[in-house]
Amino acid sequence: MKTLRKKDTRIPRRPLLWLAAALLFTLPPMFETLLSWVPMLFLVALAAKFWMEPKGYRLRSLIWKLILVALILFLLFFSYGSLRGMEPGVSLIVLLTSVKILEAHTAREFHIMIMVAWVLCLCGFFLSQNLAIALCLLIAFILPLVALIQFHCGLSSAFWPPVRSAGKLLTQATPLIILLFLFFPRISTGLRFQIAPQRGASAGFSDRLSPGSVAFLANSSEIAFRVEFPDGKIPTLGAMYWRGVVMWHGEGLEWEAEKSPAVLSRASQGPPGGEAIRQWITIEPHDARWMFALDWPVNSPSGAKLAPGNYLLSDQPIHKPRRYEVVSYREIPDNRLHSGEREPVLQVPASISPAARALAQSWATEKAQPRAIVNKALEFFRTQGFRYSFSPGEYGKNDLDEFLFHRRLGFCEHYAASFATLMRLAGIPARVVTGYLGGEYNEIGQFFLVRQADAHAWCEVWFPDSGWERVDPTAVVAPDRVNLGLNFFLERRAAAGQLDNTQSVFARQLARWPIFGRARLGWQTLSYAWDTRVLSFDGDEQASFFASVGMAGHGPIFFIVGSLSFATALLALYAGWTHLRTRPGGNRVKIVYETFCRKAARLGAPRNPAEGPLDFSVRATRLLPNESERIRRIANTYIALRYAPAPDPMMLEQFAKEVNAFVRAS
Amino acid sequence: MRQAAPSKSRFPLSPTTSFAGLLFVLVAIWYAASSQNNAASYLLLFALASVFLVSIPWTFSNLGGLQITVESVKPTFAGQEISLPVEVTNGSRATRYGLALALPDLGDAHERIDEIPAGKAARTVLRFPAAIRGEHEVGRLQLTSAYPLGFLRVMKQLPSPQRYVVYPKPAGEQRLPTETARSGQSSSRRELGEGDDFAGVRAYVRGESQRHIDWKAVARGQALMTKQFTAESDGLLYLDFAAVRLDDLEARLSQLALWVIEAERARRPYGLRLPTIEIPPSLGEPHLHRCLHALALFK
Repeated sequence: MKTLRKKDTRIPRRPLLWLAAALLFTLPPMFETLLSWVPMLFLVALAAKFWMEPKGYRLRSLIWKLILVALILFLLFFSYGSLRGMEPGVSLIVLLTSVKILEAHTAREFHIMIMVAWVLCLCGFFLSQNLAIALCLLIAFILPLVALIQFHCGLSSAFWPPVRSAGKLLTQATPLIILLFLFFPRISTGLRFQIAPQRGASAGFSDRLSPGSVAFLANSSEIAFRVEFPDGKIPTLGAMYWRGVVMWHGEGLEWEAEKSPAVLSRASQGPPGGEAIRQWITIEPHDARWMFALDWPVNSPSGAKLAPGNYLLSDQPIHKPRRYEVVSYREIPDNRLHSGEREPVLQVPASISPAARALAQSWATEKAQPRAIVNKALEFFRTQGFRYSFSPGEYGKNDLDEFLFHRRLGFCEHYAASFATLMRLAGIPARVVTGYLGGEYNEIGQFFLVRQADAHAWCEVWFPDSGWERVDPTAVVAPDRVNLGLNFFLERRAAAGQLDNTQSVFARQLARWPIFGRARLGWQTLSYAWDTRVLSFDGDEQASFFASVGMAGHGPIFFIVGSLSFATALLALYAGWTHLRTRPGGNRVKIVYETFCRKAARLGAPRNPAEGPLDFSVRATRLLPNESERIRRIANTYIALRYAPAPDPMMLEQFAKEVNAFVRAS
Repeated sequence: MRQAAPSKSRFPLSPTTSFAGLLFVLVAIWYAASSQNNAASYLLLFALASVFLVSIPWTFSNLGGLQITVESVKPTFAGQEISLPVEVTNGSRATRYGLALALPDLGDAHERIDEIPAGKAARTVLRFPAAIRGEHEVGRLQLTSAYPLGFLRVMKQLPSPQRYVVYPKPAGEQRLPTETARSGQSSSRRELGEGDDFAGVRAYVRGESQRHIDWKAVARGQALMTKQFTAESDGLLYLDFAAVRLDDLEARLSQLALWVIEAERARRPYGLRLPTIEIPPSLGEPHLHRCLHALALFK
């Protein structure tokens, strides 16, 4: 008896398989962000479980469990340095789950593992929220449902019905999900714990421009931000300079931004010139405070400020996708340089070599006009055999001479930094701006996608008559980079055999397929919609949504009660409908006959449950002699209908009429 | 066959233990989502909550249109297992999944029914130990289902009028009385010849009636034999309640049950005499059950 019961509570194989699949689908975000041995151990535990289960092995001994947990804690502490923070926390959950997998055996533990799978989904969303991960986690969310349905359906159930049931359940839940997502108030718990993941160097952009820092990004296809132009005013690709950070401190080839810049005082701003270009920018999280806008932004979105040099800075580090609106103008006329500001923008480090100083001096003595000096410098870059390359080799920060007079091979940051340094040496105020240049237009979603690879650095010089003006020395060295974008530039180079980038040739050819191209654009659009419609829908967005549907000004309780009661009403409707749809009594003949029996019982002739219709009619005619004719007819029709292979509908109607008339007549 | 009538006394839905787990996970996700202001986590929260909410009507309606019919139960001896054949009919127009049938009044006997398609029926047998002799009511039949997600359980209890009989456990030290008990004044006398009860075989004598030839033995290649029968006129084996020298009532009944079985096995016609009832001597299955039944119901 006892062994039987034990067998009964064992986890059947198929739900276990579904659960294992669910756990596998929670892994991709882990592989992306956690130390790779953590999800690897998890995989090993899963594999071990499938090896152990048929043999009846499992982790039983408490001592071994404790040793494993201690080992895990030690390993985590050893590799992360602490157990606090996002990654160690999630790693701990993942590893403890691995131990649980080895141990799990009973139905109760199966249910616990289901819950753990959902918690792992949550962890996944904390680690990454992009569309691909979200789809993975969607599957990881659904599979436990399938496992549960399979489990509660019984063991003999086939493969597909649970999947279908899960699909049906999810379809029916979708309206509720949307309702709750829109209306359930996003209350802030106040107890904020900051567990943002630490991103690697790939997110790239920094407040320091050093040789190679932009070229490092040239291979990164990660998205920096996406832009929509709601008014349809789109600048040309070559003029799409996305202003990021302005760097004021130059040290040869290395430039640096202000650590904590002040707020740009409004008083120094004149009325902008040119037409206003409105942009909706959705920025990817980069854990820093940079925000981007077309050259020159004039307003700052909420939660951000305009720093001196007219660049945007967020008040808080950006840990999740953020959407903001910003207006830019082609030029800002009033760019006065006050007396106190002139000094810093002419500063050059003492380490600059005499040769570089002499070069700049020669331009300054030759030409008096600042514009002429700038042109002279640009001509120097154009004519002296400078080449554009994103692998120009190593440069130190004092290698200005090496770059200017010997190697003459550089990426945009080398040109921008050296040009700005030379301008300062020649007595012209100059600064370096980093940001992005160009972008890829998505005609399906009608937005521009700017990747990390589009990172760019350029210069701004100050003219007494017009103020700060953009000068891009890269444009004279490699005009195609500016006009066509980096991708086209690289492609052309590859075609000309100047790049031995063999592994990407296949990818590039694939990318030229029209279907592939459409699919890529479609995916990007979907991903954009996910980021802008779903991920950016936070408390503020919700408040403006409420305002737009005329429900502003209600407290969170109103919305909680409202959305829950609406959900309940929906559910009640659904339950009623299900009940109607599946209620018994497909057999109308039987129902009508039961009505007849009830009526007869009321008249004093109750039918015995074991009595056949014929026997009953005989008895009933004796009890109700007035109705004998009708009772006999009803009985005969009933027998004919009940035992006919396919009841005649006409006859059924007649039967129903007879039963109806039965009581009225008496 | 008796049909169980539904009783509608209590609310049929109740949470299971894994519901507590779900609540915990929901609260955890809500807390994490709201403190991180993480829209994707909110989506996970709402998806989980909505799926659970939608599953409520699923669970609730999963027992709709089900009828239970209990079939007649074969009597058994105390200490053995009772088998209760049950038929569950699905009168609704939807397939019903993952049902568990139990007898809450009779221990933890339960049986799973995985699936009953619309309009079909499923048969199962509930087994439970028969502890005490006598006639008992099956009591309530309980149908439960946690389908589809197992966070809620729906329950339907149907009282069944079906009864079953448990015979006393055959046990005892005393040997079956060899001397036939006196029934009243007459003495026991056994006569071979015409009668109902088979007593043995002897060699066939030519000229005898062929009616009693053991043809089966002939078929086995043996010589012709004649079967002999006894008819007991008045010298009878009466198993008497008063003759059992035991104090305990149950032990006495057990002893009597054992004797009944032994007598039946030995093919000695026997009668049963209880203070309340007297069953005249006979042999055969119906007689055996009649006696055991009388023992079971004795008070």
